[in-house]
Amino acid sequence: MKIDIDYIARVEGEGSVKLEIAGGKLKSLKLNIWEPPRFFEGFMAGRKFDEAPDIVARICGICPVAHMVTSIRAIEKAIGFVPSDEIVRIRRIMSLSQIMASHVVHLYVLALPDYHRLGMITGLDAEIRRLLRMKEVLNGVTAAFGGRALHPVAMVVGGFTKLPARDTVGKLISGLEGIRGDAQDTLKMIAGFDTPLLEPETEHVALSGDASSGVIISDCGLRTDEDAYGNAFEESELSYSNAKRTVVKGRGSLMVGALSRLNLNLDTLHPTARAAAREHGFAPPVKNPFMNNTAQAIEIIHCIEECITLLDALTGKEHFVRPALREGTGSAVTEAPRGLLYHHYELNRKGVVEKADIVTPTAHNVLSLEEALHKLARENLDLPRDELVLQCEMLVRAYDPCFSCSVH
Amino acid sequence: MTRPRLGFFKFSCCAGCEFQTFYFQKHPAETLAAFEIVFAKMVLRGGAPEGPFDLALVEGTITEAWQADELKKIRKSSALLFAIGACAVNGGIPALKALAPELEVEGKVYKNLSPIHSIRPHPVDAYIQVDGYIRGCPPGERDLHEALTSVLAQKKPGFLRCAVCVECKLKGNICILTAYGMPCMGPVTNAGCDALCPTCKRPCYSCFGLMKQANAPALAKKFRSLGLSESDIRRKFTLFDADAALFSKADKLNED
Repeated sequence: MKIDIDYIARVEGEGSVKLEIAGGKLKSLKLNIWEPPRFFEGFMAGRKFDEAPDIVARICGICPVAHMVTSIRAIEKAIGFVPSDEIVRIRRIMSLSQIMASHVVHLYVLALPDYHRLGMITGLDAEIRRLLRMKEVLNGVTAAFGGRALHPVAMVVGGFTKLPARDTVGKLISGLEGIRGDAQDTLKMIAGFDTPLLEPETEHVALSGDASSGVIISDCGLRTDEDAYGNAFEESELSYSNAKRTVVKGRGSLMVGALSRLNLNLDTLHPTARAAAREHGFAPPVKNPFMNNTAQAIEIIHCIEECITLLDALTGKEHFVRPALREGTGSAVTEAPRGLLYHHYELNRKGVVEKADIVTPTAHNVLSLEEALHKLARENLDLPRDELVLQCEMLVRAYDPCFSCSVH
Repeated sequence: MTRPRLGFFKFSCCAGCEFQTFYFQKHPAETLAAFEIVFAKMVLRGGAPEGPFDLALVEGTITEAWQADELKKIRKSSALLFAIGACAVNGGIPALKALAPELEVEGKVYKNLSPIHSIRPHPVDAYIQVDGYIRGCPPGERDLHEALTSVLAQKKPGFLRCAVCVECKLKGNICILTAYGMPCMGPVTNAGCDALCPTCKRPCYSCFGLMKQANAPALAKKFRSLGLSESDIRRKFTLFDADAALFSKADKLNED
């Protein structure tokens, strides 16, 4: 018997899962990401350094800020520009707003309908209202500093071209305070759903507690700096998928994202988020990838608090310095909503990109996801076909993949 | 009254237009509740890709041959079809690939090119007739709203057809091109963003695409007087319009 899930709906981008079952056994399973390549790394060569963040934003319609922040960090390292603490803080605010907004969209629009056996969120009126309330506040934070929520413009190499007025910052803070209850309700809702049991073996990888440290750690003892990324990870091409696949060198698959971050850094979270995790029985190590949904909901609670603290501390002073150009190479790793995001650039003395390399969270996750799908299918072959298909899709969505990012 | 049937289709792009349509704009619930969402991969499982549709919104650049076939099918099953976003309207960022030899660009990304089947990137109207263009990367809320409400009101949508400068003047901004010498693409870029970049004190980078009848050579000349190199000027005009005919005019002027 062949099961062909042509396209997996309600994920970012385009992919399919093909299962072959014979004699009651799973013969093969392939995750084919057929999202057409756009060749970002190819056409980035020849573009100017200050265009790069605006270009890479267009890799992803859900996490443009993550790509911008990462490329700016890599480019500033390449030209030897050190941003002020204030600029670093504002970039973190941008990242946090993006992580929260992305999680909210994923949990409500992409994942939630499955748990109600619905095709889409329409009809779940209370949930839609909560989603829109949260989304409006979070988009407001991104737009206040970026100019607009999707593909922001004010965040550039060197800082921010414009900052919001002081009273706007105050409004952002009260907006965030206003959705604290919604964040708790979101966690309650997600933690209340039955989660299929599944514990695949994979290496959980995240940045260490301090998000701007650039130090990558894992639950298998990996510890490396973002500059040495290439020594720890390896990317290869697949014949049946347009997305490349990344492994930890010498070991194997890895999982990145909210679940891995919490498994490795739960103790660095804000006390309310830790309390919420305890209350809902989230105790690392959590190996079940379906729990990535719960992890995202816990993260939203944390990010609201971190964001408020950072907004409170803003001085509104210097926000842009014109960087001086020089030849150089820079690498950066940040935590995008979906996990580790790597950008690497080589610039010539005119500031023109000679080489670009980008490895996205989903490229890091793709092998782990395929292995987990394998295990899920093997253990659930007795399910009715439609239910097996839905379970596979739910697992894919739990990883919150961005196929557009993974191919780019 | 039956609700108009809406289909949303994604080709090569970031899917940002679909997300913008469904949950970035301010009135998504009200406007979209008036439509029956028949097909939209990013928000709906299942659905009927074959239509028929009263309105099809198509985002993304056409970069593989099967997409052109698919696009023609969508055209046949849709009463109205709007291209949405810079990729579908102008070619957008994915069209940057067309500026260098194809294999050279592809070879920088994949060692083995045999499973790759890319064609030269084009906007959707290179293959089919389009009933309207919702410009921008991401599309502006004003045009997006105009498109959806026009379909509901059964009238022709009135999209903004003027330069960013017009919106900038209406906002009362100081001109960053003439006052500060910033290389702003506003004079040749289609409006719809409410002059976002100049308002944020950075030069417009043309994410709404070159507007029709823009005087590109004149702006190129101005940029040269500001000290921009020929390659810098070329980059500015190609960022979102690598596939546009107008760009070649600016290029010609650059040569003299």
